Amino acid sequence: MSEQEKPRVFTEHERLIVCAIAERIFPTTDSPGAVEIGALDYVETALAGDYAAQAPLYRQGVRAVDRYARARFEKVFLRLTDAEKDAVLRDFEAGVPVFFKQAAEFFETLRYHVLEGVFCEPQYGGNKDMIGWRLVNFPGQQFGYDDAYVNRRVDLKPVSVDYRKNGTK
Amino acid sequence: MAESIADVIVVGVGGLGGILAKELSSAGLKVVGFERGPAPQKEDYAPRDSIRFLVRPEKLDWVRHEPTTTRRRTGEKATLQYRTSPLNVLGGALLHWTGQSSRYMPDDFKLYTHEIASGNAERARADLSGYDIIDWPIGYADLEPYYEKFEWEFGVSGQAGTNPFAGPRKRGFPLPPLRHSARMKLFAEACQKLGYHPYDTAAGIASAPYKPAAPFDDRIPERPACVYCGHCNFYGCHVHAKSASLYITIPVALGTGNFELKTNAKVFRLNIESGDRLSGVSYFDPAGTVHEQKARVVILSAFVFEHARLLLISKTGKGRFARGVANSSGYVGRNIMAHGDVRAMGVFDDYIINGFIGPGSAAIRIDDFNGNNFDHAGLGFIRGGTIGTSGEGTPVTRFDVLPPGVPTWGKEFKEFYTRYYTRTMDLNMQPETLPHSANRVDLDARQRDRWGLPLPRVTFEFHQNEQRLQKFMAGVGEKIMRATGASRVWSEEKGRPNRWAGGTRMGADPRTSVVNDQCQAHDIDNLFIVGSSVFPTMAGYPPTATVAALSYRLADFILAQKNWFK
Repeated sequence: MSEQEKPRVFTEHERLIVCAIAERIFPTTDSPGAVEIGALDYVETALAGDYAAQAPLYRQGVRAVDRYARARFEKVFLRLTDAEKDAVLRDFEAGVPVFFKQAAEFFETLRYHVLEGVFCEPQYGGNKDMIGWRLVNFPGQQFGYDDAYVNRRVDLKPVSVDYRKNGTK
Repeated sequence: MAESIADVIVVGVGGLGGILAKELSSAGLKVVGFERGPAPQKEDYAPRDSIRFLVRPEKLDWVRHEPTTTRRRTGEKATLQYRTSPLNVLGGALLHWTGQSSRYMPDDFKLYTHEIASGNAERARADLSGYDIIDWPIGYADLEPYYEKFEWEFGVSGQAGTNPFAGPRKRGFPLPPLRHSARMKLFAEACQKLGYHPYDTAAGIASAPYKPAAPFDDRIPERPACVYCGHCNFYGCHVHAKSASLYITIPVALGTGNFELKTNAKVFRLNIESGDRLSGVSYFDPAGTVHEQKARVVILSAFVFEHARLLLISKTGKGRFARGVANSSGYVGRNIMAHGDVRAMGVFDDYIINGFIGPGSAAIRIDDFNGNNFDHAGLGFIRGGTIGTSGEGTPVTRFDVLPPGVPTWGKEFKEFYTRYYTRTMDLNMQPETLPHSANRVDLDARQRDRWGLPLPRVTFEFHQNEQRLQKFMAGVGEKIMRATGASRVWSEEKGRPNRWAGGTRMGADPRTSVVNDQCQAHDIDNLFIVGSSVFPTMAGYPPTATVAALSYRLADFILAQKNWFK
């Protein structure tokens, strides 16, 4: 997807916070994390389309994350250490912030969307270069398998098919 | 044909409507089929695209226009729910089904006799309060020839004689079992070790190229063999190895010249002629204009929720049908059932499963814990369910399949999932759900669909027998999973409802059932209802082979009524 094609749903600040959260959900380790894999492009593409109804939850959630970070650590979320960010997110996951009753729903929605963005079919904007699939040894949208690969690593080159362009083979 | 009288109207040209259309039109009857959804193209149903079919199914046109509302019990507010089981598209849910083609066992048709009258339920110390259990008015022997016809026309792969609990069969399978996967191998070995009786699941997926030959319908086109792509359950098949009416029965029906197909045509009322007969149906065409179609016979094959809704919507102001058509018993919409599948999972440190290789219905199965095949004394429940391997699943559909204690996000999650995605295996248990009086479909008083019709409102929860049985089945699953050598084993012991049945049940007594042993409405001679909605009880297997057999049998019954069509 070229830069012009990328839908922009978030403000720059919102995007930075969502990126920071995505990196805690699927962090960069000795292998790429959510942002490099394209989870943010997936999320914004989805929020501009099929998931449009959830855009307000993101807006409110991002604001709530900053507010909660300030209350608990006296810093904005982006300035927290990884451990502090995780503490904030664990509290959201458990529904702790009383001023935002959708805290748990926001975190769970974001967790799902980020992981969808890591592992989706690449035509949806995430899973760039099939990195998400390579990480888990999934060979992608194969036409089929000539062998059952019983107790054997599948050594096929990963495949992706963009059905918007190629129809159904 | 709009002004003329059709011989037969088929409401819902899905998997079963396709069978009926083929059988009836081939015998020379003029058949009009109404399908509320479109005729799909291959690019609509065959992409190997898990976001489309598994992550966002509620966005599919075939799903989003016909939701139900749902609540657990009377008195609660019902909320909107999008469902993939009544797929609103030509060919219906047989387009995206798993393929599991199990016949019911002879015992599955006679629950009242075998469980209650026999004293089994008492010995089990089961609590059956609230349940409403009757025998089917037909048995396995009535359906056996029609199971066979389904298997040989749709090309079912399997191995006869390997399941000691199966009913007798006159003929084997037309195709050998599908190729064995890692999960099948481990499961079969574990079951043998435990003294159970593993067998190859009958699968509506061609294990080799297949074309029916005489005495079966040789007009059905040849289909290629499965390529094991693993994008199977909830997807249409990109090679057409999966058994689907869309390319098996419907083209043959259209080829007769006797079948008029109306897609994007929504039947919204059954019209009463006079006395005890229907004159036909009223429907919306794609532009929303109302039309009427007259017919000598009307068959509903539009799934559980729509059957109840259509009968209830069609009620007349007063008289016999004031509570709904064919509802003198008050049983329309009652006793709906759904399986509450439970799963047992295992991860392997030293074995690669590659669970994404398909199809899911290439499975090994046991029935040692199905029906009444095991001793229930003191267990606190009756019945059981089939147990088998299940699988498939691209990484985007599996990231929540984690053993207890593994976090659902963060570094530890990433490490676990990247190592174990290819090393996880599932077992699927399909525990039978009994008909309970509190579970029903009626009309939602507030929410309406795109045509302005009240949505079907589903009131459903699992009651005491299901809760106990599900927990027991999860335990059996864990035991088998441990015997496979998995390093870590866990289970989900609460089922989520799927595979619906009931709502227009079949019975010998018109006071407590909606249709008779021929799927004919007790109240209306020329109205027939076919599908899992007629099940009085639902067995511990998926309904597909049984509803297909019922459809073939219904076609034979209608064709035998020669004086109706003079």
